[in-house]
Formats: sequence, C-alpha cells, structure tokens
Amino acid sequence: MKLMEIEEILEAEVLTGEYDPEIEIEIGCSSDLMSEVLAYGEPCSILLTGLTNIQVINTANVADIKLVCFVMGKIPDEKIINLAKKNDITVFITKLTTFESCGRLYKNGLKSCSYFDLDK
Amino acid sequence: MNLKDIVKMLDLKVVSGDIDREVSAGYSSDLLSDVIANAQKDNIWITLQIHVNIVAVANLQELAGIILVNGRQPEQITLKKAEQENIPILLTELPTFEIVGKLYEMGIHGNSIN
Amino acid sequence: MDNNKTTTKIQELTYELKIDDVMCKNIETVSSKMPISQLRDVLYKKRISGVPVVNDDKLVGIVSIEDFIKCMEQEEMDALVEDKMTKNIKTLYADEPLVHAVKKFEKYGFGRFPVLSRKDKKLVGIITKSDIIKGILKKLESVYHDEEERRYRASHIFNDIVADEVFLKFQYFVEGKNFDKAGEASTGLKKTLYRLGLSPDIIRRAAISTYEAEINIVAYTDGGEIIAYIDPHQIKIIIIDKGPGIPDVEKALQPGFSTAPGWVRELGFGAGMGLPNIKKFTDKMTLRSTVEKGTHLEIIIKLSDYRNED
Repeated sequence: MKLMEIEEILEAEVLTGEYDPEIEIEIGCSSDLMSEVLAYGEPCSILLTGLTNIQVINTANVADIKLVCFVMGKIPDEKIINLAKKNDITVFITKLTTFESCGRLYKNGLKSCSYFDLDK
Repeated sequence: MNLKDIVKMLDLKVVSGDIDREVSAGYSSDLLSDVIANAQKDNIWITLQIHVNIVAVANLQELAGIILVNGRQPEQITLKKAEQENIPILLTELPTFEIVGKLYEMGIHGNSIN
Repeated sequence: MDNNKTTTKIQELTYELKIDDVMCKNIETVSSKMPISQLRDVLYKKRISGVPVVNDDKLVGIVSIEDFIKCMEQEEMDALVEDKMTKNIKTLYADEPLVHAVKKFEKYGFGRFPVLSRKDKKLVGIITKSDIIKGILKKLESVYHDEEERRYRASHIFNDIVADEVFLKFQYFVEGKNFDKAGEASTGLKKTLYRLGLSPDIIRRAAISTYEAEINIVAYTDGGEIIAYIDPHQIKIIIIDKGPGIPDVEKALQPGFSTAPGWVRELGFGAGMGLPNIKKFTDKMTLRSTVEKGTHLEIIIKLSDYRNED
C-alpha cells in the first residue's frame, strides 16, 4: 500500500512535509507500549499509536519503521517532528481512533505484523 | 452485535464474565488514562495491559469486555476481580492491529471523535 | 562560468534518463467526439492545461486550455473536440533520451508532448517541462545521496587494516531520568553501524537491544554508559550503570515482570518487556547486578558471516 493511499484512508494530515510516493507500506502494527513494538519479529512499516512523545520516534528509528501515525488528533510537538524528519520517518496525524484506523487499513488490505514468529 | 458471536467468530478464549451482551463499538488503547477519557459505554476494549486496573477501568466505563492481545494472560488478581465484577476478559494470540481489523470486518467500528 | 560543472552534470543526466523515467503515466484522455463544453471539467478537475485526444487507442490530436478559451470567446461551446484540437502533433517515444524532449520543447515551444510506445504506437504518457525538471532534480538527489553514503561506508575497514586483532570501540554516556535524551545513544550507534555497512538485520537487532537497555538506564538509574566493541566477528555491547541494581535478576527476565513507576508506564515503557526483548534479539546476554552498586549487562550479536561457525 502506498503512503498516499494510507493518507486518504485515514483522512490524515502529513506533518513531515513531502514524502516519497514510492515507499511501500506492507505491514501494520499498533501499540501504545513501545517495547511491544520493538518485540515484533519483522520490521513493521507503519506504527499507529496514541502515545505522543519523542520515544515513539526513537522506537520507529531503531525498529526501521517508516511511517508513524498519531491518532485521535493528538499533535506532537516540534521536537518530535524534527527528530522524525532527521531520520526520514514520515509522520501523519489522524482524527480517527486507533480502532477505526487499524480497522480501515486492515479492511483495505494492509497486513498485520505477527508477534510469534520471532524465533525463526 | 452480541459479544457471544464475536467470541465464536474470532475464536477468543473466555476467562471471565458473562458474554451475553451487546457491543456498541470498539476501542483500542494501552494507556488507561486514555481509555478513561475516551472509551464509551458498551465498547469492546482491545489492550495488552494485564494488571488489575483494567477491570476497574472497564467497570467505570461500563465496557462490554476486554480483549487481551498477543497471547497475554491476565494476572491472577485481575482475573479474580473480573469474576467479581462480571467483566468479560477474552484472550487472543493475535496482535492489536489484526484483531481490530477482524472486528472491523465484522462490522464493529471505532467511536467517532469530534 | 562558475556553474559549468552542474551544467555538465545536468546535460549528462538528460542523456542518461529516458523520457519514460520522468513522464506522467497516469494520463487523462478525451474522445474526439466530446463537446468542448465538457472539456472544462476535465481540465479544471485535473488541473491540467491540455489533454490528448484518443480514438480507439490511437492518438489523433491534442486539445488545450487555449483552445477552450478561444471557443469560449467565440461562443462555440457546442463544437466538438475534433474541430478545435491540434491535429498535426509532434510526439516523442518513451525510450528516447530526455535530451530529445528538451530539444523539441526548444524547437516548438509547446507546453507538452504526448509520448508513444515505439512498439505499438500507443499513447503511454505525456511530458511537460516541469516533468523534466522534477525528474532531473530527483535523479540529482539520489546521486547525491548515493555519493554521500559511499563516502561514509567503511565496510572494508577491517580488510584494510593489517593487524592480528582489530576492533572498533564506540562509547556513549547516558543521563539518568532524562527521557528527552533517552534514545540518543542507541540511535547514534545505529547510525554508526549503518555507516560501517553492516546488514540491516544486524543493525536493527543491535539498535533495538541497545535502545531497551538505554531506556532502562534512564528509567531506573542515575546514569550510565554504553560501550560497543565491533570486530570482524561480532558486536559486543556493554551497558553499565551506577545503581540501584536489580534485587532478583531471574524475576526481571520474566516477560511482564516490572517495577516501573507510573511515569515510565505512561511514556510507553515499563511493561516488563525490556530485558526479554534484549534477550530475544541478541545471540548472548549476560546480566550481573549488585543491589546499591549497579548493573552490568553484556550482549553479543554475531555478524552474519560468522554466525554459523562456533
């Protein structure tokens, strides 16, 4: 799924300026606990979260997540956006809830991360 | 939609509470303060938190039930409290993104935010 | 001229890039029997200034916003596209170098050229001057990026050094209780490993484990340090703090066990997954802790080429 499709599905606003339209988002994950995100076996391409602090971006960075979407209209502060830009992470915000966002993306065909194939 | 049907279709493991009740919509969050502020009555709540406070939150907000994701088991005291308060706790091996997706496909949507 | 060099680079790119690389492929077309009055919707909605006219897959003309305006002035809105379009059109082939397009734009002064596939002469795209500029800028950007990476990539560093044993050491200091700075050490290490040219999987595992350890230092201690040793076989990362130490190490390793205070939990950590995560992503983990003294965590990630040996 292309970033632009996700932007449309989530009625999102882009906070990090222009993004590369060719980036493919393949796997979705959602959590408000960053250790949970880090525990997923494969890199997820999009993280949906209700948590808005700088550690979300650090988590995305170390776990190779390309797109972070903050839900429920929460606006992250400047520091967060700047760190994301510095690390080539795209940041969206949506007014939708986590539930509605995950539901829409899944229904549109975005695959889920899997928690249990870690030990392969 | 009735919680009984959700349990059946998604193959959830019921560990507490009476599951014969209606679900209005879904809410997914791992931050208790967020659930207290934004979940609505009869929501089904998806979370990976397992400590006893989740029962209090579900009770307070009159939620329809709690789904614990990623194969998480509730703490003993959580389970005891949930039985006391008749709060359904349901378990799944799936991660949040996927279980929410499946609920959504069954017609359970998120609350609308204004 | 002082911009001689860039001019040369751009000229080079106009030969290197094909029209196919920069043209717009998602094209709008109209039929020749469409009334001019309907043209407005097509042009305005898509915000384009001209559109190719196609009948049965065959390009028969091109009609532009100027044609539309002329019809409006002369009150000929009922005319058909075929009566007002330009019929004798210049086209380009998708496999031609960009420089051909540049020359044609210079020669004819048109705003756009339809692009055909050489094989079946079907319309496959349309090219405007701004497509050319965008295409060249994008290419320049990626050339720049590649070069920058090449400059930093030091993957052969170990091959170039003549010694019996060689390792690189990187040291990072971590401030306790300062959540704003938490993550700086591990993201710094990640960047460094990337520049060393290690594989993405190795980098990800090292970065995640170090990050969890760094969060632990920030959340529970008054500070500490992270030291990474990299040799041709493995990455060894040592994480040391000054206390308070872990009373029951075995318990701390159980998934879900946590002593995290509320402020740590509200920041998205402290769910008892840090140490289990570190264990999961590393090949070896050794944890020693003395209450009131401090904790010493050592992790090893083997480099893929050597993973199957010992």
